[in-house]
Amino acid sequence: MQLPWLDSWYLRYYLAETRYWEMEVDGAKYSTLRRGLLEFLILAIVSNEKVYTAELLQRLSETDFATQEGTLYPLLSKMRRQGLLDYEWHESASGPPRKYYKLTRAGREQLAEFRQYWQQLTSLIDQLGQ
Amino acid sequence: MEKLTSIKLTDHPNEFPLEEDAYQVLNQYFDGARARLRTDPDGDEVLRDLERSIGDRLDGVIQSGKARIGRADVEAAIKEVGYVDTGDGSDSTAVVPSLPKARPLVRIKEGQWLAGVCNGLAAYSGIRLDWLRTIALFLTVLTGGFLILVYAVMAIALPVVETRADYEALRNAPAGPA
Repeated sequence: MQLPWLDSWYLRYYLAETRYWEMEVDGAKYSTLRRGLLEFLILAIVSNEKVYTAELLQRLSETDFATQEGTLYPLLSKMRRQGLLDYEWHESASGPPRKYYKLTRAGREQLAEFRQYWQQLTSLIDQLGQ
Repeated sequence: MEKLTSIKLTDHPNEFPLEEDAYQVLNQYFDGARARLRTDPDGDEVLRDLERSIGDRLDGVIQSGKARIGRADVEAAIKEVGYVDTGDGSDSTAVVPSLPKARPLVRIKEGQWLAGVCNGLAAYSGIRLDWLRTIALFLTVLTGGFLILVYAVMAIALPVVETRADYEALRNAPAGPA
């Protein structure tokens, strides 16, 4: 049975799908990277001042690292378990009390360490590119 | 009038009047969150945080003058808060659309036309559902209805999963029976 139009139809569909797939995989590389860096960005944001989660999300949403409560809350609780962060409750004028996060000494140390490492890394990449 | 279910959410003093399907969607969300947090030592606390956040948003709906919370309100709140992504264990599965370890072929009831076979195939293969259905219909005509038989066999043989989100969770779950 000869169905040339089916071939071209299928081919077009197939190409569109694979292109889409490659794009996804490419984007995924960066999202893995971002995912790994998110923790350090949180440390950096919290290092300045006590923040509550809505503020934290707001600050992140202005960057490439926009995220949601569903991701943030488990991460914050993990970081607290690791002793990098701690929180205290504060009443809020509207609605329920909020958790305000701040860095612990260990968190501060890790952030300083990361900043140093990050600089080494960028200068290394620059050098390798020469 | 649809039946209302009143629920309480962490740290919100007032009860929220939810329509029946809104209540079900919310329940499903928390069930899924609970399942994903079961290995998290602070899972209960994270759940309370999520409840508080969902509550804040539903509170906004009530403040805006609505007397009851519908499915769309709950879905909007869930979309903003996002599904639980713990990031550890199967570290990158949530962000990387790489081929997962287990790829069970199932039927998916959410949005099914007949038995959800195409829906399951689409989730399995990553092919768009509307394309897949078109192809299936086309092949049915082309094969003189033979595909109906194949469909019936699959409808009987395949296990059922309620929603696409459940299916993704199943696939991304750390190694286990799939």
